[in-house]
Formats: sequence, C-alpha cells, structure tokens
Amino acid sequence: MSAQTQRNMVTEALAQIGQCGLFLLTILKAVPGSFRYVRETVRQLWFVGAMSLTIIMTCGLFVGMVLGLQLYYVLSIFGGTAASGTVVAIAIYRELGPVVTALLFAGRAGTSITAEIGLMRATDQIAAMEMMAVDPIAYVVAPRFLAGLIAMPLLCSVFCALGIFGGHLVGVTWLGIDNGTFWSNMTANVDVWKDVVNGIVYKSVAFGAVVSLIAVFQGYTTPPTSEGVAYATTRTVVASSIAILALDFVLTAFLM
Amino acid sequence: MAREARFGYLVLLSSRPFPMTDPLRPTTDAEPLVSVRGLTTVLSGKTIFDALDMDIPRGRITAIMGPSGTGKTTLLKHITGQMAGDAGQVLVDGQDVGELSRSQLFKLREQIGYLFQNSALLTDFDVFENVAFPLRQHTDLSEELIRNVVLLKLQAVGLRGAAALMPSELSGGMARRVALARAIVFDPMLILYDEPFVGLDPIALNQVLKLIRTLNDTLGITSVLVAHELDAIKQVADHVYLIANGKVVAQGDPKTIADDGSPWTRQFFGGEADGPVPFQYPAGDYAQSLGFPRSQA
Amino acid sequence: MTQRKSYAVGTGLFIVLGFAALAYLATQTTSVANVSQGPSYDVTTQFANVGQLKERAPVKVAGVRVGQVESISLEPGKEVADVTLSIDRKYGQIPVDSVATIYTSGLLGDQYVGLQYGTAKQYVKDGSRLALSKSTEPLEAMLGKFFGAGAAADDLGGTYAVKARFTNVGALSPGAPVKMAGVAIGSVKSVQADPVKLDALVTLSIDKKYDQIPDDSSAAVFTSGLIGSQYVAIQPGGSPDMLKDGDEMILTQSAMQLEDLIGKFLVNGSPGDKSGGKSSDAK
Repeated sequence: MSAQTQRNMVTEALAQIGQCGLFLLTILKAVPGSFRYVRETVRQLWFVGAMSLTIIMTCGLFVGMVLGLQLYYVLSIFGGTAASGTVVAIAIYRELGPVVTALLFAGRAGTSITAEIGLMRATDQIAAMEMMAVDPIAYVVAPRFLAGLIAMPLLCSVFCALGIFGGHLVGVTWLGIDNGTFWSNMTANVDVWKDVVNGIVYKSVAFGAVVSLIAVFQGYTTPPTSEGVAYATTRTVVASSIAILALDFVLTAFLM
Repeated sequence: MAREARFGYLVLLSSRPFPMTDPLRPTTDAEPLVSVRGLTTVLSGKTIFDALDMDIPRGRITAIMGPSGTGKTTLLKHITGQMAGDAGQVLVDGQDVGELSRSQLFKLREQIGYLFQNSALLTDFDVFENVAFPLRQHTDLSEELIRNVVLLKLQAVGLRGAAALMPSELSGGMARRVALARAIVFDPMLILYDEPFVGLDPIALNQVLKLIRTLNDTLGITSVLVAHELDAIKQVADHVYLIANGKVVAQGDPKTIADDGSPWTRQFFGGEADGPVPFQYPAGDYAQSLGFPRSQA
Repeated sequence: MTQRKSYAVGTGLFIVLGFAALAYLATQTTSVANVSQGPSYDVTTQFANVGQLKERAPVKVAGVRVGQVESISLEPGKEVADVTLSIDRKYGQIPVDSVATIYTSGLLGDQYVGLQYGTAKQYVKDGSRLALSKSTEPLEAMLGKFFGAGAAADDLGGTYAVKARFTNVGALSPGAPVKMAGVAIGSVKSVQADPVKLDALVTLSIDKKYDQIPDDSSAAVFTSGLIGSQYVAIQPGGSPDMLKDGDEMILTQSAMQLEDLIGKFLVNGSPGDKSGGKSSDAK
C-alpha cells in the first residue's frame, strides 16, 4: 500500500517536472510576442527586482558580517586572519551569494508571482485576457519570467557587494585586520572568471530561470480556489529551494 | 451596415488592422449569428451536451436557461473557442470555431464581448485602464483618442466619474458595469453575458437590465444571456432556450414559454423540487446502503 | 501614465545599481585589480626550490608590487626551477646584481618574489637573467618540508620506475606526488611492506623528461602544510651516473614525526641548517 503511494508520488513528481519543462517551451515560444509588452516586463522588474532590494541588501550585509566573525575566530587559530578577505570573497561569490539570493528571491518574489497569477486565474482575469484576444502567456507569464531572469544576477551582485562590505566591516573595522592585507589578499586570490562570473553570472542566471519558471508554472496551473493558491505558493518555495540546491551542486561540478 | 460608419474614424486613425466584420461578406439578418449543430461534449465521463442544436439570431437578445450543472457556461466557452466539443460544430458568423487557428480565434474574439460572472477586472489597473486595455492591446490609437473612447463607454454605463477608482473600490454592480464597458469598447458584434444578474441588488439589477436592452437597441449588438432569473429575462430577452440533459427541451418567447405544458418547463419555471430533474442524485438501493438485509420484505 | 514613469525610473535605477555592483566586484575585488596597466618586460631567474610559488604571484620591491610571476618550469636535466618574472615598464631601473628571494606572507599566506637591489650601475632589460637568487628564508628552509604541495606531474611523456626503501613512510599513499626542487616530477606508484627486510618499499614513477637524476640522490618523505598530505622529495646528489628504470635509491630519509619536528623547532629557537634541509644557495 505504502509502496503504491510512494510510486504515485514519484510519478506525480516526474509528471510535474515534465509539465514544467513543457511550460518552459510554451513560455519561450511566447517570448518574442511578449516584447510588445516591454512596459509590463519593466513593471514586473520593479516588483520582482527593485522591491526585493531591501531584503537582499540586509541579508547580504549580515551574511558577510557573520562570515567575517566566524572566519576571524577560526583563522586566528592558525594565525591566518589575513586570509579572511579571500575566504569571505570566495565563499560569497561562489556559493552564498547566488544560493542565498536565490532562496530569498524564491521566498520574496517567487511566492508573490505564484499568488498573483493564481489569483488572476481564480478571478477569471486570465480567461478575460484570453477573451480579449490577449495571450496570457505572453502578457502575464513571459514578462514575469523575463523579469526574474534579469533581476536575479543584479540582486546577486548587490548581495555580494553588501556581503564583502559586511565582512570588511567586521574584519577590518571591528576586529582590526589590516585594511591593506584584507584587500590585497582578496585581489590576489579571487579570479574574475572562476569566482565572480561563474558565481554571480552563470549560477544566478540559472537560479533566476529556475525560480521564475517554478513560480509562474505553479501560479498558472494552480486550481482556481483559495486553497489551490495557498498550496501552490507553498509548493513554489519548496520546489524552488530543492531545485536551487540540487542545481547548485550540478553547476558547481561543471563550473569548477 | 452601420458599424463602419460608426467606427470609421477609429479605422482611419489606426495603422493596424482594425477588428471588424468583413463588410464584403454578404450577410442577411435571417442568417443566425451563432449556430450550434450536433454539439456533443463529454467532461470527465459526464455527457454535458448530447447532439445539441441551437440558433442565435442576429441583433436579438437570446437567453439560455437551465438547471445548474447543465453546462450553460460551457456552451459560452464553446462559442468563444475556449473549449472544443467532442463532436458537432459551432459556427460564429459563418466560421467554424473548432477549425480556427489560435490567431484566427483571437481575431474572432476581438469581435466578441464577454461579461464574466465575477466581472474579471484586471486588479492591477484602475477603471479607466481596464476599459482602455483592449484598445491599447489591439490598436495604436493616440492617448487622446483612447481617452475619448473610454470615457464614451464609461458614460454609457454611467461610471465616467469612477474612472480613477481601482477595481477593489467598486461594488459588485459597479464592477459589472465596468466589465460591460470593457466588453463593448470595440463595439463587438456579439456579447455573451455569463450570469449577469447574480448577486445584484434590485437597483443594480435594473441598471444592468437597462444597459443590456439599450446596447442591443442602439448598437444592434447580438446578445446571449445565461441566467436563472425568469423575471429579469422576461423584461429583456427576445427568445429563450431551456437546456436540460444536454438538449434543448423548450424554446420560445419568454413571456409564454412557462405555459407550453412540457414537464421540463413546468418544473423549472414552477420551481418544483422533483420532476424530470430528480431530487435524488442517482444512487444505489437506499435500504441496502443503510445495511438492511434485502430479503426481509 | 505618471505611475508607469515612476516604475521605469525605479527599475532603471535598480538595473544601474546591479550592474555597478557587478562591475565593482569584478574589477576591484579580484585579480583584475592587480593586472598591470602599463607594458611590462620579462626577466628570468632560477631557484633551487620554488616551494609554493604560483604563477601570477606578485613580485615586490621593498614590499611594493612591481610585477608578477609569469611562468614556472623545471628545466629537464637540472635540479633548478626556471622562473620568469614580468615586471612593469615603469620600474625599469632594477640593477643587474639584484637578488630575487621567495618569501611567504604569513604562515598560511601565499608566496611571492622579493627583489633586493644590488649596487650595479647596469639595469636589467627584457629577457635578461637575474643571476642571484635565494630560494627561501631560513624559517622556510626548515618548515619548507611541511609546505610545497602541488599537483602531480602529468606523465604524458611516459614514466620510469625507481624504488626506495624507508623505515617509516608515515601516511604516504600511492598517487602522492614526487617532487624535485618543489616541482612535481612524478608520483608514488605503490607502497608495500617488505616481509624480509621489515621496511617499506616504495615504487616511484618518474616522468621520462627528468632522466638526469644522479643515482646517489636521496629521497625523503615530507608533509605539505601542517595538515597536508605527504609526498616524496628527491634531493639530487653529485654522481655522474643517472637513475634508470628499476634502480633503487640508496639514500632515504623517512617521514618525520610532527612531534619530532616541533620539538626540534622549539629547542633550536632559531632554525638553522641542522634540520638537514636545503637552505639558501646563492648562484
């Protein structure tokens, strides 16, 4: 009985992934059509990107600060506090920046995209657009997807900058690591392609695509009831988080 | 036709093709605008329509009535091509909706207004932008012209003063009137009203009734009403179809249809609890499902 | 319409902010910041042991960065590492008798090349050679055996096997690198206990490129870093005969216990040549 249920859950999950992939194709097909709605994309970029700045900046600062603090204590055991700039930068660029930004993005922007599209469906707004001969994929879904794709690397850049600043604040300003040592160690060991571009650009674009896709997919396919919308919102966070961390492993293996 | 004359200025000002019926296509008022032929639909094992035939005449107000769950809204979805039937065809203005490509379907829908049961206003935009939405999407008219057309339509539904309100600030009746203004912004050839009277107080109900009648009389728009309220329909409709069990069981003038003597009309308009539409949902033997042995009798 | 404009302006600001952050991070916190702006010229020098020196490591004069390490290679047949330094054109007045030294910045820090000016009136030019070099400071001479891990040499040119016996191999395992002058020249093929002689028989697989190793060279098991893995270091001898496939190295030095070394370090206070490691060797 439980084996049966398990098999059903696996089939269900596979079917979701398959539908999600097909939905991506639908979106990509509608993207040229959505260029007519550039204004809508800009508006979504505002909601999805600019409105997420506060949480991203706050979290980036604290992640950098806590990293600076932890590293100071660990590295001082080896007398290597000079390396804390390097470790802060590499840890943030390679992993913490893209992954934490994507998780926050899923929680802040992904859920609101899902809930918004789900409610638009529940209140027949999607059907109304269909009836007004406006393709809802091109007008509603594609702009949100594109906005997520564009916003993620930008948010990740801001997160990383604040993270480095936080690490510097704790390490140099409070704990007294030499300013020059902090920066020169960082600049000597951080590579622009291997660390910055791989992390901030490749990883965060991939995460942005995955989170936005899951968010619009869950919103668009949710049953048009309040329960359905609530469930879809939860699913967006859960599925996004799993997808981000799994994809992070795959990308790290490929990009290293 | 009067349509071109009425909309001539918009056609001249828009560089994009303007949605409009082909003036060269010969039409007669006798030819029905929508004709449903042998439509059969099965949804999750339940037969909704069983070889349904129906004609909706041009320039008239046709009401479609029937018990809940007989697929009245589904029929509207068939007419607009949101849903395809399993057999039969739906002709709108001579075009088989099921055969149209997505872009042809979109062309057709630009000439159809659809009033949703819950109005379905876009919550992101205010009243003005909601009404302007189809114009912005399908034409590149100047801002001034859009403003004029939108205010004209809002004036027609009596809500010009509410142009700056957001949909959340509207009452149900106002929202429905805004949705009506949006539905008629292109002066469509056909308007479909899905339960337009549900949840309206008597004042709002009469306002909507008056609008439906006026739009039909002044613009010559063909109207299809899906509703339960016989009193309201008697005031406004020219023709009534009663659907039950996937077929048209009665049709005729709304004032006299209740008296045609068929058991369907007697139950529906008389509001009897039991009749051709059974009170009991189909179920197994009652005694058996309660667990009494059958052989006791 | 005004509502739309404010979105557009805000979104524009957001995009600009994002790209500015990316540009700042990419140029100011990475090695891009160290890329010399002006043209440079190359100077070569040789070290007996480059330790952990890596390509692109800084070259400094009086602590100020003047260039970077362009390339490090081991000259086949010699036990010295060739190092090419790329120095900024604006620092064109380096005397030819300057001394190049490999320093470590801090215990865990990276290594860099420091130049100490000589007194000659002639200056080095593109392609010229700094004759004087010091491998490492005395501290590194002793601790050096704890540092210096690097990638194992590739064996594209084929390898030959050499045996060596140790009384104690510590944690040495097959696959560990074999190094000469700090540069990987091969890898450990197998580590076996000899049931008769009761010691460890280690087979080293050495790249054929390096077939000029004297047969009286010694092999030692060293540890790279405090917690690093172990490797075999070969110190060349002076015999005219070279090691061949299947030869056995006579002189070996077993793995040193960390405890021994720390004890030595503490007792000696200032470490000297007593550890037996190679110290400064000016050329």
